[in-house]
Amino acid sequence: MVEKDILKKIVFLKDLPDHILEKVGAIAQLEIFDEEHILFRQNQEQTLLYMLVSGKVFLNSRSAQGKSFTLDQVSAGRAFGVSALFGESSSTFTAVCARTSKIITISGEQMRRLFEQDYEIGHILMLKVVDIFRSRMKMHTHQFLHSLARHPEII
Amino acid sequence: MVKIEDLKRINLLRNFPDHLFEKIANEANLSIFGADTKLITAKEQGDTFFMLIMGQVAIKRELTPEIDIILDNIQSGSSFGTSALIKGSIANYTAVCQEPCEVITLSGGRMKQLFKENHELAYYMMLGVAKQYKKYLDTRAQMIMKTLDEHPEFKEEINDIENLTLVI
Repeated sequence: MVEKDILKKIVFLKDLPDHILEKVGAIAQLEIFDEEHILFRQNQEQTLLYMLVSGKVFLNSRSAQGKSFTLDQVSAGRAFGVSALFGESSSTFTAVCARTSKIITISGEQMRRLFEQDYEIGHILMLKVVDIFRSRMKMHTHQFLHSLARHPEII
Repeated sequence: MVKIEDLKRINLLRNFPDHLFEKIANEANLSIFGADTKLITAKEQGDTFFMLIMGQVAIKRELTPEIDIILDNIQSGSSFGTSALIKGSIANYTAVCQEPCEVITLSGGRMKQLFKENHELAYYMMLGVAKQYKKYLDTRAQMIMKTLDEHPEFKEEINDIENLTLVI
């Protein structure tokens, strides 16, 4: 169980009404992970949603040629492992604690069960996920087009 | 009205509960568009969500007034025009039929109204859309990883890769 004051520190959840936060809090756990602890590995089934309360997490990806790249550094207040909300979805990255980290974890299965018991919560949260993904795609397409315009020889 | 069997061919609706298919079937229309028909115009507020039964649709953005870039070619079973389902959204791309296309259409205005009345429908539609975006973001991340494998010197230039990491 996680108190709603802690859940409100998470950007993804902070605007939600208290009654929804209480339901989410009831199925959440607060855990502390050591530096270098691997939370999940690339291509493994994603079972937990993670929300970073304090600390730092690296998201790494291994290329086809075996090179490892750090694609993102997750800072406090952010959620990752969103694939867990979709079910039957494998993780795109390996997540490693870059320092001792306090993390809220929620079982994706329990979260999906909560959504199916209260579709309004499911709708609100899934709409948030869509909004964020959509703006990322837009931003990335803009960056891609900007790069092509700067390097027209690629076309 | 469209047949439920046709809706079951759409990837986004995979895993939908049966009773919701009926609701969508009642709202949907089946249309055939000729090659070169523009279904969506970038930066405009579209009011139609499209599900492609047959044909191919190019997703484009203008690079310069002379050059359009094709970002993706949508194949049968895929959906597009998500902006029509989200309040206050505008289209991020232009969508043009590459060949004659058979398409199921839904009115965005009507769907948004239904979402207010039926959260179950809204949840499953948004879950489908989120999964579809995850797939696109994953594909782009893989393309970037492949590029970095071949051209590690580009790493400094790719300054927005974290936008693909599904952190929310």
